[in-house]
Amino acid sequence: MTAIFKREFFSYFRTPVGYVAMAIFTFISGFIFYTQFASGYVSISDEINSLRSLFIVIVPIITMGMFAEDRRRGTEILYYTNPLEMFSVVCGKFFAAMALHFVMFINVFIHIIVVNMFGGRTDVGVLGSVLVFFFMAALFISIGLLASVITDNQIISAIVAFLFILITQLFTLIGTYCGTAVSTIMSYMGLSLEDRNAAKNGVASVISWFDPFAKTDAFASGLFSVSALVFCLSFAIFFLYLSFRILEKKRWSQK
Amino acid sequence: MIEIKNLVKHYGDKKAVNDISFTVKDNEILGFLGPNGAGKTTTMNIITGYLSSTSGTVKINGHDILEEPALAKKDIGYLPEQPPLYNDMTVEEYLKFICDLKQVPKKDRKEHIDTITDMVGISAVTGRLIGNLSKGYKQRVGLAQALVGDPPILILDEPTVGLDPNQIIGIRKLIKNLSKNHSIIVSSHILSEIQEIADRVVIINHGKVAAVDTIMDLSQRLSGTSKILMSFKGPAKDVASRLKMIPGIAEVSIRNAGDIGEVEFVLALKAGNEVRANAFFMMAKSGWPILEFRSLNPSLEEVFLSITAG
Repeated sequence: MTAIFKREFFSYFRTPVGYVAMAIFTFISGFIFYTQFASGYVSISDEINSLRSLFIVIVPIITMGMFAEDRRRGTEILYYTNPLEMFSVVCGKFFAAMALHFVMFINVFIHIIVVNMFGGRTDVGVLGSVLVFFFMAALFISIGLLASVITDNQIISAIVAFLFILITQLFTLIGTYCGTAVSTIMSYMGLSLEDRNAAKNGVASVISWFDPFAKTDAFASGLFSVSALVFCLSFAIFFLYLSFRILEKKRWSQK
Repeated sequence: MIEIKNLVKHYGDKKAVNDISFTVKDNEILGFLGPNGAGKTTTMNIITGYLSSTSGTVKINGHDILEEPALAKKDIGYLPEQPPLYNDMTVEEYLKFICDLKQVPKKDRKEHIDTITDMVGISAVTGRLIGNLSKGYKQRVGLAQALVGDPPILILDEPTVGLDPNQIIGIRKLIKNLSKNHSIIVSSHILSEIQEIADRVVIINHGKVAAVDTIMDLSQRLSGTSKILMSFKGPAKDVASRLKMIPGIAEVSIRNAGDIGEVEFVLALKAGNEVRANAFFMMAKSGWPILEFRSLNPSLEEVFLSITAG
């Protein structure tokens, strides 16, 4: 796994991918920090929460080539013909992308230092926001990695990852719409208002349960929830395992 | 040693590999031949663990590639048709990465990489990006990665593609040298190359083994008997009667008698006999100079065409 991690991590800096991702992240985080600083009120938690919305752009850029590019250039064969476990290959690539996120995040750590230099304080909400950032990064990277496994083309992989992450970000909204749709259908069926509202709320809450943003919003206020972290981590592990199984299946394919 | 038994691989309704069995002995070079689409690459991919078989077994030094993949793969060096290279790495970085994959001890790495780069002739380009190398160099870097870890078994798919004639000769010599302590499967469309380096050949056609043997035995089997052409200056009748007395010669027939006293005989040999030395001494003693000895057995190319035609 270490070999794959090293190879993947340094490859981000041999190609424009790592620099583009870092440039986008640094520019946006710098812009947010500057705006706050100029207004006289700086909240690192708010900055980190805003940066979470960048996952939809940065993660597809980082993950699109993970396996799709290996397949294109024929290096995938190295993973199968050397004494390696395929899951360790998946993990090596995953941790390389996590490490790149850590490098990108150094910019935010600098902001924290600056705030402290000017007499500001770093409260538990900041710690919570940092924690959530990395747990959500793990979740979205695993989604991007899965997209790279299921497609052979980098562009398609990036689009699939973008759509997956977009849907994840919109779960609460999707839940509300689906609830309303169910309620409308039920009204045509002549069901009571009470039943319709119950169904509407039920559908909305089931779908919005999958929204990682809603689950972790309270961290910025210092209200930690282990279940939210377990949610991100368990889904990340699930997507990594799914990627591993799909890679193994390709080897056994009869088509 | 590689043991392949009843290997089958289905792609949908198509049988890409259909009940293939053969073995590669220790320190042997096996030429792996077949027309395009015959199933060579699929077979090699199965042997190396890249693909799974539908049925059948592959054992690498006694380890089943599916049941003990780590042990089996440790013993294999594979150069696929398209060398697996990262264009964004230098040759040295790439070979270090392969050392990591093959778990070469860190203390031995530098020396090991130096030895391999010397062997395949890429020492001068170790600091260059792979993406900027010529096709020939890329091919040799691919060969170098197969040699990392000094695996006792090498599987080389078209190892000389893209090389110039000097490099081809160099790689052939290298493969021949490696065969002193490696079992090697070489696939190539350059049949003269296989003829020169392989101890035995496996010819597959339509996913099935069409022939497994030494090139000489295949050639003799095709022609029915081993024949050599002898060209000399001397009295045809006397020479014919003297040659018939040499043990190992089954039949002597005249092929051509020139005006200047040059005569060509075709000598049909009894199986497994080598008669050229005896014929030479007999002719020299009689003062009849031999101008040429040449095998009339079919070349590997003719054997290949005859086996794979239709």
